[in-house]
Amino acid sequence: MKPIILLIEDDPRIRRFLRASLVTQGYELIEAGTGREGLALAASRVPEVVLLDLGLPDMEGLEVIKQLRSWSEVPIIILSARGQERDKVANLDAGADDYLTKPFGMGELLARIRVALRRAAPAEEDKQEAFYSLGPIRVDVERRLVFRGPEEVHLTPIEYKLLSVLLKHRGKVVTHRQLLKEVWGPSYVEQNPYLRIFILNLRRKLEDDPARPQYLLTEPGVGYRLREA
Amino acid sequence: MPGPASGAPPRPQEEPKRAGSENLLVCLDPSPFSIPLIRATQRIADAQQAKWFAMYVETPSHDRLPRENQEQVAQALYLAAKLGAQAIKVSGFRIGDEILAFARENQVSKIFVGKPYARRWRRFLGLSLVDHLIWNCGPIDIFVISGEGEEALPVPPGPKPRLRLKEYLVAAGGVGVCTGLAFILFPYLALTNLAMIYLLTVVIISSFLARGPALFSSLFSVAAFAFFFVPAYYSFAVANTEYSITLLVMLLVSLLVSGLTARIRHQARVARTQERQTAALFGMSQNLTAMNSLEELLQIAVEQITRIFDCRVTMLMPGREDKLEIRAGQPFVDDDVREGMVAKWVFKHGHLAGAGTGTLSAVKGIYLPLIASQHVIGVLRLETHQPERILAADSLRLLEALGSQVGLAIERENLSRQAQAARLQIDAEQMRNTLLSSVSHDLRTPLTVIAGSASSLLEGEKNLDADTKHELAQSIYEEARRLDRLVYNLLEMSRLQSGEVKLNKEWNVLEEVIGSALTQLDPQLHDHPVSIALPADLPLVQVDALLMERVIINLLENSMKYTPSGTPLKISGRVQDKEIFMTVADRGPGLPVGQEERIFEKFYQVAPGSARGAGLGLTICRSIIEAHGGRIRAANRPEGGAVFSFTIPLAEGAPILDKHLPEMQKNHRDEADHPAD
Repeated sequence: MKPIILLIEDDPRIRRFLRASLVTQGYELIEAGTGREGLALAASRVPEVVLLDLGLPDMEGLEVIKQLRSWSEVPIIILSARGQERDKVANLDAGADDYLTKPFGMGELLARIRVALRRAAPAEEDKQEAFYSLGPIRVDVERRLVFRGPEEVHLTPIEYKLLSVLLKHRGKVVTHRQLLKEVWGPSYVEQNPYLRIFILNLRRKLEDDPARPQYLLTEPGVGYRLREA
Repeated sequence: MPGPASGAPPRPQEEPKRAGSENLLVCLDPSPFSIPLIRATQRIADAQQAKWFAMYVETPSHDRLPRENQEQVAQALYLAAKLGAQAIKVSGFRIGDEILAFARENQVSKIFVGKPYARRWRRFLGLSLVDHLIWNCGPIDIFVISGEGEEALPVPPGPKPRLRLKEYLVAAGGVGVCTGLAFILFPYLALTNLAMIYLLTVVIISSFLARGPALFSSLFSVAAFAFFFVPAYYSFAVANTEYSITLLVMLLVSLLVSGLTARIRHQARVARTQERQTAALFGMSQNLTAMNSLEELLQIAVEQITRIFDCRVTMLMPGREDKLEIRAGQPFVDDDVREGMVAKWVFKHGHLAGAGTGTLSAVKGIYLPLIASQHVIGVLRLETHQPERILAADSLRLLEALGSQVGLAIERENLSRQAQAARLQIDAEQMRNTLLSSVSHDLRTPLTVIAGSASSLLEGEKNLDADTKHELAQSIYEEARRLDRLVYNLLEMSRLQSGEVKLNKEWNVLEEVIGSALTQLDPQLHDHPVSIALPADLPLVQVDALLMERVIINLLENSMKYTPSGTPLKISGRVQDKEIFMTVADRGPGLPVGQEERIFEKFYQVAPGSARGAGLGLTICRSIIEAHGGRIRAANRPEGGAVFSFTIPLAEGAPILDKHLPEMQKNHRDEADHPAD
């Protein structure tokens, strides 16, 4: 059965281009032009992924997310314009899963959808994974060991924790706030500079060229993303 | 009627001079006849399209002229200036010499004078001005113009007998004392030495007293000497003819000495007055040039004039509907509207009037027109209890000079304002044009590529091979990206310049900011290897990460645009004097010399019309860096290529790198031991 994607977007041209591409890629696309319509469709058709435009005519994107989250865990991917970093962060912290900045390439969108679908898939697959590998980086979850190529990389406990949170959400953006909360706890959510320092250290240990990271990517103004495989 | 002077030396007729090449000079004197003289000269000057001067020579006797004559001079000069002449007033002793000297200096070819009115004996001796000019004029033509109704001025109102009785008494007393002294010394001294004592007395008296008493003292002392000491004694009879020579010489010497002394004193007085006036004018001009608004300028002018003349000063200028309004200075009472009418009259006619003058004098204020290049732009009003103090020749001249300075300053201010407005408009126009041409070019190029590629895909769906299709799709994608960046830069530019952007400053790791910029540029960077040299312990900086990232992206994009593909780019940074000093260097052709600053200007392109961008990238960089309190520069590297450098000030209290935070670690352990979820 084809995965169902709900597109909430008021601009028919964008809907047309997404419909063409997504249907070709084997998804079933249902479309809504307003937030209200979108919420109704989300309830009636139960989509696997929701693509939400932030500039809807009838309601704020944030409101759509909150209402949707009140009864559904469906992954939400935000489509936003550039320069709306604060909105993005607010939406992500309110429960959206990921974002794309317009204009975006189809490749990016498909990658985001894949990550979202995998997250929505039955949990056991994700939980039981004993090994992760990212290029030359391998993580032995069981023994809490990290290797880069053949060599073991020594991580401090906090660095390991940071890496494991990113691994849990791999392929998906994690906001600064979410990372701080998950790694250090709720009272540290404002400590962005420390997070940056730890990310820097982690990159220096894991990346070939820490200034041009290949795996531990920066999402400017939003957070970090661990490249998916 | 004009006509060549009867006594002009016969000269061969010169070939007619080219119109417009002549300079004429009209000599003014303190009589009402100057007015018709000026008008006559103006007619001739206009007819010949000649430049003309109106000149008045102020001799020591000018001060002794009655006020109405002094005023006639001032009015004549005004009139001449209004009619287009260059009005000149000089100080001198010999009118003829001053006129000729000026005429020669200024290549004057014709001099116009009024019909001579010198006293009969001077005329008889050939000592009149006209005679003097004619004898000494050389190649200059002298024209003598007679007034239409000459009855008014056969004899100029001579110096008013101003008896300075006190001074004469002092002079007489001085000679008396000297005579007493001479009596005491008479037994011991020779007659010639007694004469010396008298001469000394004359010198002393003339150096303190005016010319009249001085002359009187010289005559009186010669008489006293002759009476008392020259045999025969107690009589004016002279015993020996030799003594008559002594007396004659003594008379001549004492007359000469008193005359010379008076002249020196006059010169000193003139010099003092001129110095005072020069200082006042200099002060005014300095103050006026320093002003940058009309209001300030008027205010300063009024203050200066108030200080110099110690009176109430008002500046009137035409406002709405050309009605005169008070623009600066003291308001004045104008119950019967007469003041306003006089002001209006002065404004209309450009002529001094008001209290103490010969024109419309039934008001309290003295009204002086402010004249700027041939039209009146305002009226200066002075009010004082002693208008004659201001209208005295010296201070009137100073007032006129100040007035014309103010007039010119106002005009200059007006012109500069107009020029400024015009320049702003041109700038705005140019900016709009540049924006339009630059943006429309930059929009059209990618749109052309996109439309063309897409239509090729549509039409040639069957015929195109997979590679071509891919290539077309690729270029559509790339051009769309380019468009997106352009639009983003335009928006960012206007946001930055409108001050709408609030910096979201946070402690950031520069390495991460640079890395993020490089990741975004990745698809374009394949042609340019980028190396990064940052010290591992580079401190954190308080910056808006997104904006700083934009700086790096724009600098790299700029370098990529202007350097051949394959050439390396290098980003480096170091701490230097409480700042972080960052550079982006390339190995391209470098910047055109002298354009290092201009490239940061909005819409500036090194090669206009090239398809390289809208010329906004660097301007955005500069706005961002300056908003962060840093500086951005561009220069050429000695070893070739360009280098862009910018600074970011280091803030206090940066979180320290490479140090773990114990409490956080502890917290982490707690959580690690008891996972939250």
